[in-house]
Amino acid sequence: MRKKTFAAAALLAAAALTLSACGKEDDAGSPIAVVSGGSDASKVATVLDQPFDKPGLVLTDTHGKKYDLRKETKGHPTLVYFGYTHCPDVCPTTMSNLAVAMKALPKDQQDDLRVVFVTTDPGRDTPAELGKWLKGIDSRFIGLTGDFAKIQAGARSVGIAVEPTKKDKKGKLVSMHGTQVIAFSPKTDAGYVLYSESATVDDYTRDLPKLVEGAKP
Amino acid sequence: MRRASAALTAGALAGALALTGCSGSGPGSDEAELSVSSPYMPQPVSADMAAGFLTIINKGGAADELTSVTTDVAGQVTLHSTAGGTMTEQSSFAIPAHGRLVFASGGNHLMFEKLKRRPKQGQTVTVKLRFAESGPLTVEMPVKAATYHPSTGH
Repeated sequence: MRKKTFAAAALLAAAALTLSACGKEDDAGSPIAVVSGGSDASKVATVLDQPFDKPGLVLTDTHGKKYDLRKETKGHPTLVYFGYTHCPDVCPTTMSNLAVAMKALPKDQQDDLRVVFVTTDPGRDTPAELGKWLKGIDSRFIGLTGDFAKIQAGARSVGIAVEPTKKDKKGKLVSMHGTQVIAFSPKTDAGYVLYSESATVDDYTRDLPKLVEGAKP
Repeated sequence: MRRASAALTAGALAGALALTGCSGSGPGSDEAELSVSSPYMPQPVSADMAAGFLTIINKGGAADELTSVTTDVAGQVTLHSTAGGTMTEQSSFAIPAHGRLVFASGGNHLMFEKLKRRPKQGQTVTVKLRFAESGPLTVEMPVKAATYHPSTGH
């Protein structure tokens, strides 16, 4: 899935370079073609033929309390994302997109929806840190932290590979985020739609009314 | 002033290239000719860090390298590439001759750390880009909504 996106992006980039190299008038002020995939509705959402079980994660929420993902979100439409707060680009954009799209839903559906951010960097993302960060996005979002091995196994069970935080050559900590948001149905509690990180706020705004009912987008 | 004449030269070069049809570097294009397009910063979630995106276009016949970025709003700006959910700090990024270097969400990004204030939508952040060969460029980077995406324009 990701590989394909990259190949397509590389082709696009190559095409753009070819065009400009061949002397096509290229005004610096004009908008540049977006190489990162854009918002093609057919690609940002993938409905799974074989849905995932909800990960059996029991972690700690932003209030320092035990949170059993399956128990707490049972029967609720649920969106799960694996990311970390020391992440300038994809993680805050993804969560902000969900926050804005959620506000377009009727109030009762907003209350029904569970948006869960599971940290991939539990060393730095303490309950307090997570809480502070999520407050800047939407205080209703649930933030979970805990043992990395558990988190990694939970992520793996829904097809998301994350590695522990490492130090780079300069000794700076480098973490890893998931590249997908998983939507779980309120009817079956199964993860049945994957959203790629190129999903925009418009994609989520369009699809959330279906997702809160467990329908296919 | 220097920029204005550079832009004119680049325009003329592009014309020459169109005529000769991809015949490689035109006469006198042995220097990089850099300009910046579509800069923006999504409004950050916290005062800890922010990302910035832009495209550097090189109309010249020589490659260059982006080597550092500074701004008065952040204590540190680093250059990162992203692949498969991992962001990797790079010390420089190549800008090919007659090509471009793209910083776009999900791919390469500028990472602003140790923010002195939290940039808000509607504000502008001044960023200075430095290169291996060319002189520095100063860019006014508008702060957009946290959900802004260039493909939708909002």
